[in-house]
Amino acid sequence: MSEPEPEAKPEPEHMAEVAPEPEAVAEPEPQPEPEPKPEPEKPAPAHMSTVETHEREVASMLFKTTPEHEELRMAIREFAEREIAPIARELDDNNQFPTEAVKGYAKNGWMGLYTPKEYGGAGRDVLSYAIAVEELSRVDGGAGVILSAHTSLGSYPIEAFGTEEQKQKYLVPLAKGEKIGAFGLTEPEAGSDAGGTETTAVDKGDHYLVNGEKIFITNGGEADTYVVFVSTAPELGLKGISALIMEKGMEGFTFGTHYDKMGIRSSATAQLLFNNVKVPKENLLGKEGMGFKIAMATLDGGRIGIAAQALGIAQGAYEKAVEYAKEREQFGQPIGVNQGVSFKIADMATKLRNARFLIYSAAELKQAHEPYGMEAAMAKMYASDIALEVTNDALQIFGGAGFLKGDMERYYRDAKITTIYEGTNEIQRVVISSYVLGKLGKSGGGGGSKAPAFGAVKLPATGVRKLQMINEGDAQANVDSLVAKLKNDGYDFSVGIPADTPIAQAERVVSGGLGIENADKWYLIENLAQAAGAAIGSSRPAAETMKYVPMNRYVGMSGQKFTGNLYIACGISGAKQHLKGIKDASTIVAINSNANAPIFKNCDYGIVGNVEEILPLLTEALGTEEKAPAGPMVKMKRPRPPKPAPIGPRMVCGGCGYEYFPEKGDSEAEVAPGTQFADLPEEWVCPECAESKDLFIDMTYRGL
Amino acid sequence: MHCVREIAEDLYWIGANDHRTHLFENIHPIPQGVSYNSYILLDEKTVIFDAVDWSITREYLENIEYVLNGRDLDYFVVNHLEPDHCSSMVVLFDKYPNCGIIGTEKAFMLMRQFGYHVDGHEQIIVKEGDTFSFGTHTVTFVEAPMVHWPEVMVTLDLTNGVLFSADAFGSFIALDGKLWNDDVDYDRDWIDEARRYLVNIVGKYGPHIQLVLGKAATVLDKIKIIAPLHGLVWRTDLMYLIDKYNHWSTYTPEEKGVLICYASMYGGTENAAQCLASKIAEKGFTNIKMYDVSSTHMSYIIADAFKYSHIVFASVTYNLEIYPVMHSLLEEMRMLNLQNRVCAIIENGSWAVKSGDLMASFIEDKMKNMTLLSERLSLASTLKPDKETELDALAQAIIDSMETVSTDPAATKA
Repeated sequence: MSEPEPEAKPEPEHMAEVAPEPEAVAEPEPQPEPEPKPEPEKPAPAHMSTVETHEREVASMLFKTTPEHEELRMAIREFAEREIAPIARELDDNNQFPTEAVKGYAKNGWMGLYTPKEYGGAGRDVLSYAIAVEELSRVDGGAGVILSAHTSLGSYPIEAFGTEEQKQKYLVPLAKGEKIGAFGLTEPEAGSDAGGTETTAVDKGDHYLVNGEKIFITNGGEADTYVVFVSTAPELGLKGISALIMEKGMEGFTFGTHYDKMGIRSSATAQLLFNNVKVPKENLLGKEGMGFKIAMATLDGGRIGIAAQALGIAQGAYEKAVEYAKEREQFGQPIGVNQGVSFKIADMATKLRNARFLIYSAAELKQAHEPYGMEAAMAKMYASDIALEVTNDALQIFGGAGFLKGDMERYYRDAKITTIYEGTNEIQRVVISSYVLGKLGKSGGGGGSKAPAFGAVKLPATGVRKLQMINEGDAQANVDSLVAKLKNDGYDFSVGIPADTPIAQAERVVSGGLGIENADKWYLIENLAQAAGAAIGSSRPAAETMKYVPMNRYVGMSGQKFTGNLYIACGISGAKQHLKGIKDASTIVAINSNANAPIFKNCDYGIVGNVEEILPLLTEALGTEEKAPAGPMVKMKRPRPPKPAPIGPRMVCGGCGYEYFPEKGDSEAEVAPGTQFADLPEEWVCPECAESKDLFIDMTYRGL
Repeated sequence: MHCVREIAEDLYWIGANDHRTHLFENIHPIPQGVSYNSYILLDEKTVIFDAVDWSITREYLENIEYVLNGRDLDYFVVNHLEPDHCSSMVVLFDKYPNCGIIGTEKAFMLMRQFGYHVDGHEQIIVKEGDTFSFGTHTVTFVEAPMVHWPEVMVTLDLTNGVLFSADAFGSFIALDGKLWNDDVDYDRDWIDEARRYLVNIVGKYGPHIQLVLGKAATVLDKIKIIAPLHGLVWRTDLMYLIDKYNHWSTYTPEEKGVLICYASMYGGTENAAQCLASKIAEKGFTNIKMYDVSSTHMSYIIADAFKYSHIVFASVTYNLEIYPVMHSLLEEMRMLNLQNRVCAIIENGSWAVKSGDLMASFIEDKMKNMTLLSERLSLASTLKPDKETELDALAQAIIDSMETVSTDPAATKA
């Protein structure tokens, strides 16, 4: 981290001391001007009066930004109005990343506003960055979050935790805007709870081998540098999470399709896919196991950015509503004369001012290296909550005009994400209340971590599976090997069941998914089902969207559950819902062209390959002759999930037989679950008979 | 009249047999009775090792008087303070006011707690490894906490090699004239009751038994006679008994065999259990034992559960739960720490079959180191021929899994 800057250090309690000066709460100057559009050269902020330079020594007591801040604001506002506002609709309609505009950010030196100059940044402060996000968001929420994710998520962790080499290699081009940054934490099983991280990084000496996926990643695909959170020691949960710097273009590092979102559609959001990605050891950020700490520290700062984004969106909607209230006439006068409208505007202005103070205060605290985690959470929570209210009220003032495609409805849609990402507002309340109340109770209420029990074994959604990937050579060799394995497991392919046997009663099912690209190819599934003596099923989209089969034949949690023996999934990636519907299958075979598809982590046998190549070979290998009717189904053995191994010695008291399990601890003595017997304090005694520790013996002790 | 036996030079058995008590510890049936053993050593000082149950105190005092033959009692050693060995102590202390008492600190604490009047007597608190001489005989004390009470110790006479082993190595069955282990066919007539005694009473404390066995192993060459507080006195084949204890205390099965416990209301579940037993035997495996849980005292089933490698739990569903007696059996097994068994389930229910899932989660979640076979026989009211394949699969799975179990305690080592 950069050194504290003493001159920027406000007293934490300064807020309480301020007297409500009429000047300080004056109405924004530009607003009463009847100009239809604020002129770029006079875009004074809506929230504060500009003051003369000679008053600056008392500026902090007046809660005003400096002239430098306001100059920056004007520059960005001018840029945004000129470069982004005219194309905002087009970006939104086309789900399009504003590549040229982002180059403009770089050219103006806004991609590293608070990064020190020695690392290619502008050397300004966190407040400058917040203002930049606010101003970009004021015209387009997506344009704002691009900068926010780049700066506080993609660049900041390298600035704060990186080595000098990492800073030179990655931070400098990020701060200069030559590269774009992003941050990868969220996964299908890890969002608010980072402990669920399933992306793994295995130590291979000079590099880590990374496998897994990240979802909902802002700047995903557009960014060049990614700070990615991986599990280097899955058994340690949160303490096993580490942060790696990854580069676009690393072999095996690919992106899913750009999500089709409700709002902020100009920001790219994509899935990050890691398939045996080699990441050099020198790209480890901080130390192994520090990942959770890095993520939390980063998100604290990121919240200021998202709060600023929410504020900007709300500000943009508000300004347009104010303007409209003055222009739109009904009953012969502007609608703003009606208190139904004017009171809304009063509330909106007050909320905006509130949010702005929270955000700027958190930014100043961060800049001054004061604790700011709670304040950033408050700012993010409040600004995003009121962004929904303000955009809603603004749209209401616009009436039917606001409901048409255009700026108003775009603000309304853009605002919603701000209560969700960078920690949902529910999580913000958990954060804030934990600062206020400290740690109460054992579980921490509804906000407590649902970390798995100590020693719990993490199993695939489908339970214990063989997870054998068949890769013996060419497609024919793989198919032959698969058939041999199935026959060895006891499957008899001379018998079969009708293709229309209800899924729930079927002993075997061959299912097709979106890997079957069109209805003309469905015969591949029908032929394979015949050869395998199986009924036909499908994934949900194959039935619902593609209509390959009736809806009563899709397999999944909400559809039909397959509890028979053999399930062959063809071109099905394996969404959670689908996997839950086949967890009782005795054998799962997966055929898919994407080696990273979750189905392969949930199958007994898997072949990576194109269904159009594999399925005909498999059909041929199983035999296309008429099948004899199968007898009553005999359910095949399913291995039971293994029990978790003890996390440490279990000890039994020599005074009474009480058993100490480290997994449970001793709640009455306030010994936390997970405490090893050896780590119990010396004064700890048996809760049942008060014998001392030395009378305990290991339950696995053998005398003979 | 007195009824005493010489154990070794100057050492006499002065206990008595009890056929009138029907329930040992007021819970375990003892149809063949039980003996309460007490021993007296006539050295330069006279010393009694443990006393007896209140029920035989009259005979006991007569025996002491006879052996002392006018001498005073100098010392009383308390290896174990459970009232079946100590309730007569009160009378003993009144009669021999000069006798000193030797025991662990906890033994004295418990004596006061039970109301045995130790104050006024010399109180000699001993610890692990202490020695004490009565003249020519020197004894050493070995603490044996939680086998099966906390105050327990065993005393080894270093002069003649007699180990006063407290409840360890004891058994149900009254002696009825016999005294030595080689007086009987132990493996035929006694081992079942010795097992039932040990595992029901001390089963939970396997690690503690191992602790004592470990200590005993270091002085094994010095032990010539084992003198327990119930049952026969051992002078031959000590390793036979130690091996049994090693199995029980490590929760290792003695034999590959199938124990089938069924809980049946109207015979449907019983029929399924019989069909399974028959199927297993038909396949060539005949070491099968079967109990009706409702009509068999739990201690017998527990004893065989410690003996055999496999347990089949067959239970009806009752009030949407496990049939109460079967639930009690499972609880008892859990409480006694039974481990390392292969378990299988037969479940029955006439409208909502729940017992199988409930038993499975009990076995998996509440018991330690159990292997539950995934094959399960599930029946609605009665077993019907359509279940033939399930029945066969279960029988075969039981037989197949025999290969996975070991009867060698070293193999169950964690």
